[in-house]
Amino acid sequence: MRKQALSGILGVLVALAIGALVLLLQGFNPVATYGALLQYSLFSASGFSATVTRAVPLVLTGLSASIAFASGPVNLGQPGQLIMGALGAALVGLFVHLPSVFLIPLCILASLVGGALWSGLAALLKRAFAMDEFIVTLMLNFIADYFALWVITYPLFDPSASSPMTRPIGTAAWLPDVGGVNTSVPVMVFAALVCWLIMSKGRSGYEWRMTGQNSLFARIGGCKVDRNYVRVMLVTGALAGLAGGLMIMGGPHRFVKGLGANYAWDGIMIAVVASNGISGTFLYGLLFSALQQGAIGMELVTAVPSEFIDVLQAVIVLVVVAGRVSLNIVFDWLATRRKLRESAG
Amino acid sequence: MARDVLIDLRHITKVFPPDTVALADVSVSFESGEIHALVGENGAGKSTLMKVFYGLERRDAGEIFFRGARVEFRTPREAISAGIGMVHQEILLIPEYTVWQNIVLGSEPVRAFGTIDVHKARQAVRKKIEEFQFNLEADALAGDISVAARQKVEILKLLYRNVSVLILDEPTAVLTPQEIPQLFSELMRLRDKGHTIIFISHHLDEVLTLSDRVTVMRHGKVVGTSAASDLTKVDLARQMVGREVLFSSQRQPQEPGEIVFQAQALNCSDNEHRARLHDATVTVHAGEIVGVAGVEGNGQFQLMNAIMGLAPMTSGTLEVSGKDITHADILARRALISFVPQDRARMGASVAASILENCIMTHHILDPSFSTMGGLGLDYRRAAAFAEQIRNQFSVNMGSAGDPFHSLSGGNQQKVILGRELLLETPFVLMDQPTRGLDVGSIEYVHQLLLDLRSRKRAVLLISADLDELFMVADRIVVMCQGNMVADLATDGTSREEVGYYMLGGKEAVHAQAGS
Repeated sequence: MRKQALSGILGVLVALAIGALVLLLQGFNPVATYGALLQYSLFSASGFSATVTRAVPLVLTGLSASIAFASGPVNLGQPGQLIMGALGAALVGLFVHLPSVFLIPLCILASLVGGALWSGLAALLKRAFAMDEFIVTLMLNFIADYFALWVITYPLFDPSASSPMTRPIGTAAWLPDVGGVNTSVPVMVFAALVCWLIMSKGRSGYEWRMTGQNSLFARIGGCKVDRNYVRVMLVTGALAGLAGGLMIMGGPHRFVKGLGANYAWDGIMIAVVASNGISGTFLYGLLFSALQQGAIGMELVTAVPSEFIDVLQAVIVLVVVAGRVSLNIVFDWLATRRKLRESAG
Repeated sequence: MARDVLIDLRHITKVFPPDTVALADVSVSFESGEIHALVGENGAGKSTLMKVFYGLERRDAGEIFFRGARVEFRTPREAISAGIGMVHQEILLIPEYTVWQNIVLGSEPVRAFGTIDVHKARQAVRKKIEEFQFNLEADALAGDISVAARQKVEILKLLYRNVSVLILDEPTAVLTPQEIPQLFSELMRLRDKGHTIIFISHHLDEVLTLSDRVTVMRHGKVVGTSAASDLTKVDLARQMVGREVLFSSQRQPQEPGEIVFQAQALNCSDNEHRARLHDATVTVHAGEIVGVAGVEGNGQFQLMNAIMGLAPMTSGTLEVSGKDITHADILARRALISFVPQDRARMGASVAASILENCIMTHHILDPSFSTMGGLGLDYRRAAAFAEQIRNQFSVNMGSAGDPFHSLSGGNQQKVILGRELLLETPFVLMDQPTRGLDVGSIEYVHQLLLDLRSRKRAVLLISADLDELFMVADRIVVMCQGNMVADLATDGTSREEVGYYMLGGKEAVHAQAGS
């Protein structure tokens, strides 16, 4: 755990240094660029608020991927599940008229159900026909994508709009801002906490992890591995769906074309960087969100194009993942030297 | 007969970080044309030493000489091209490939344009199989055959490559008693032709029968090298373990109690609808150890699957303590059956998980004291206390319970699994080759544990390929042959010869006796 944290921090620092080198080679001032990045992501009230709001889908889809990968199922359907969750929340928000106290929880529930239905479909196909969820969830992403596009282009099209989108959901379903921060953020933090409880303190988390590492061992041990598989798929689908729902309820308040385009893929990437750990996913989600948010400011103040952040993100992924292994090699080498000196002396 | 030094390992040191000194200044030399046994308990450093020589592990200090010249094999491929081959404990075959494909892999006979000469390759492999009298199907998938057969494929793979130095890491651990003499006579013939064989083993009898010289290792150091003819089994065990070891049975006479386990007419078939278990019937009483003997692949695996509920039976009934579990799910069976599987890494543990996580499997469901929040939560403090209990009660040598399971030695891994299973306190215990791959000290411990279970009136079914083991602890021995229970013998009223006769199904047995 401590090694993980060390390799993470070192990795990010090294990646930032590599980014600075790239900036220098391009003739930009790295100090000014990183300054702007920080200014617009963390060190201003509006920047910070935007960063944590942006972190909502990143962290949630990241948690979805982390829990799935740690428990066995290769659920790569976060993009599709996010869309179906968003659609669920949008439908309830559009057609159900209730006071906020009831409507907001109902919308959140709809987004959870939407995502879980979509991953549940993959789980069903696996159970019934032994179809690998790896490919099924990937393909379902396309179906969700075009299904949502059809929905917002035809049945739910807002005639006053120039591009495919729904009408705004009822204001009672909007997640309010409190102290400048959207309330989708505390919902996300709460969800992350529940995930941590399940995985680190729960019986399910233990069984899921054991099943993910060696399902025959778990099965012989008396765990209901098939039931656990379905549960993991449903839970991780619901998490991705929640990401979509919160994006609608906290953000544009309607389903617009291209909603959540890259967040879910970033979430999968975050899970990989965090090696499927819950707290790691949470922290990397915040980091990546800060980078993406800061990129907008950086582009405003400096001449550095925001694509630089894509490069920086990729470098972070590579350095952290590679660094985990190489740091172990360094630790091992140091321990070996020490031991050799001991046995010689 | 004076022989030349062929391989000279000097002052080899190897550290496994963070603080395990696997080899501490080890020097051994192997002579040309000898069978040289390397013996020692698990973790003594035998395999590591050979892996360092073979280019699989890097040493941290020391020098290696081969045929008088200083050498440095960086990969096994370099070692093989120098004429040195190693058969590992872990089996590294491609399960989706057939036996012959696995054997020729990497040195396939090719025709023009680089296509593999399938006919020639299969013929060559068939010839090798015949030459060494290995009971193998050249066209069977490696993933479908038994562990023993897979090991044979590994040995054949090197013989196919015509190596002159053969390193065998516990080759007999998975062979049946009938197959061992064949392997040995083949190894001796290879030796007589000038091959050098380095033989890593735990089995002291084998070591003394087969080898010319023996090097004993303990805790990463060489205890000594002596001619096998100067050694007795007791000497060897004392050198290995550092104390006296019991080899004779401690089984005290005891009246068995009521029937605990009853399997009636179990039938099951494989994917091709061949019957793999035929009307198998076994009864185990309280305070009784019943051994299941048989050449590997004669239905023991199916019997284990049927008892544990891992694969469906076509007919038959199972009963434990009067409860019918024929159709029960695995969890319901686990409340009545402790199970120690033969393959620790596949069935017995999650090697990547922590020791603690491996300790609490099954208990986390069956024992309510492990749950918090009305069954939703897992009490990790209780789990830690339980891991501590296993450590103390089963003398597991481990660092922290949070360390990964794979950091434990084989013997200690088995102790954790035994502890976990036996603390389930079930009336019936199923053990599938519980001493496979363990060292002398650990085997003695397991046998002691088995007899202890017997005196505490548990019913034990022990599947084993080791007749010595069965004769040492079992009250009765049932023999399996081609899915049938062909004999049910009281241990005190039978002999190894009789059991061997039934294991081979009669006719072949006469043959084998005439041959040896």
